Amino acid sequence: MAFLRFVRRVVTAVTGAAMIAGVLRLRGQGGVPPQTGGWRELSGPDHS
Amino acid sequence: MRLAIVGCGAVGGSIARRMPSGTIDQLILVDQKRADDLATKLGSHAKSAASVPPDVDVVVIASRWGSQTALARQAIRTGASVVAVADSIEDVRGLLALNVEAQERGQTIVVGAGFSPGLTGVMALHASSWMSEVDEIHIAKVGTGGPWCARQHHRALGNPGLDYRRGAWIPRSGGSGRELSWFPDPVGSHDCYRAAMGDPLLIAQLFPEAERVTARMAATRRDRMTARFPMFVPPHPDGGIGGVRVELRGWTEGRREIVVLGSAAPPAEASATVAMTAVHEFVESTSVQTGSHPLASLVDPQQFLRRLATQGLQTERFEGAQ
Repeated sequence: MAFLRFVRRVVTAVTGAAMIAGVLRLRGQGGVPPQTGGWRELSGPDHS
Repeated sequence: MRLAIVGCGAVGGSIARRMPSGTIDQLILVDQKRADDLATKLGSHAKSAASVPPDVDVVVIASRWGSQTALARQAIRTGASVVAVADSIEDVRGLLALNVEAQERGQTIVVGAGFSPGLTGVMALHASSWMSEVDEIHIAKVGTGGPWCARQHHRALGNPGLDYRRGAWIPRSGGSGRELSWFPDPVGSHDCYRAAMGDPLLIAQLFPEAERVTARMAATRRDRMTARFPMFVPPHPDGGIGGVRVELRGWTEGRREIVVLGSAAPPAEASATVAMTAVHEFVESTSVQTGSHPLASLVDPQQFLRRLATQGLQTERFEGAQ
């Protein structure tokens, strides 16, 4: 019985840790997009 | 000139279809599944073969990751130069390691002649000409080409990437280091993460004095969750639109400057355009450096970008951010 209880606790701890790690890894976003500016194609002066 | 293309998937097939028949005497296609059909469609100047014949001048290697070093070694030993569309760390390392043998045999190996690596290095070298000093180069890419590119993307996200820091290589966990990267329209913004990409190995050769070189790829939550498992769903035939982005940080006339260049295109088509242009540059050049080198160190970046633009692969610059 004591062994089974130990196994159950280990499984619970590992599952809990994996869930917390998963949430920490996947949540949020990587930053704030630029509020100004934009893309423009390279033209003549850019090639000098 | 006799040109062989090894691997006729999304990239190799596109190169074969778009290579003007007037520029080469014979095109040899090497691919177990697709070479016969493709050669028939292309006409009399193209033929299929089980392996690269010994009398070929240039071999374009567009085969799956992990196979390119052995193919390149075989090609230089039969007297051919190589243009390799390699993007995995193993392939890029292996191809660079052939430098001495390629020099001894008087052959050239162009390493990373695709969208990323390839165009990214040319962009970086071109942008560096606007700055007095470059100390950081950060590469990001989004999207995949054909099925093997998608498999490589999946594999790269589950394996450690390499950051270059003041001459040292630091392994960083794949899928870590989230950073929001802004790509040219219509791609827009994507969260990008570290991955096992070949770009830093080549960029560090171009900028050995740089303090930091990093590479990231865009990924979704599902990509990151499943990166360490086998691919459960077969990859798509083509991944659609993608993009690359190169950010240089450094100094110009005593003030800090950041230059960002990018390009948006379907990755397989873009890689084919870069490789095809590299072959043309190689054929037209009168004095080609022997050995194994990144694409950017073998071409004039300005001229190369102009040639790509005439073929529809446009480079853009991000401007105006505070």
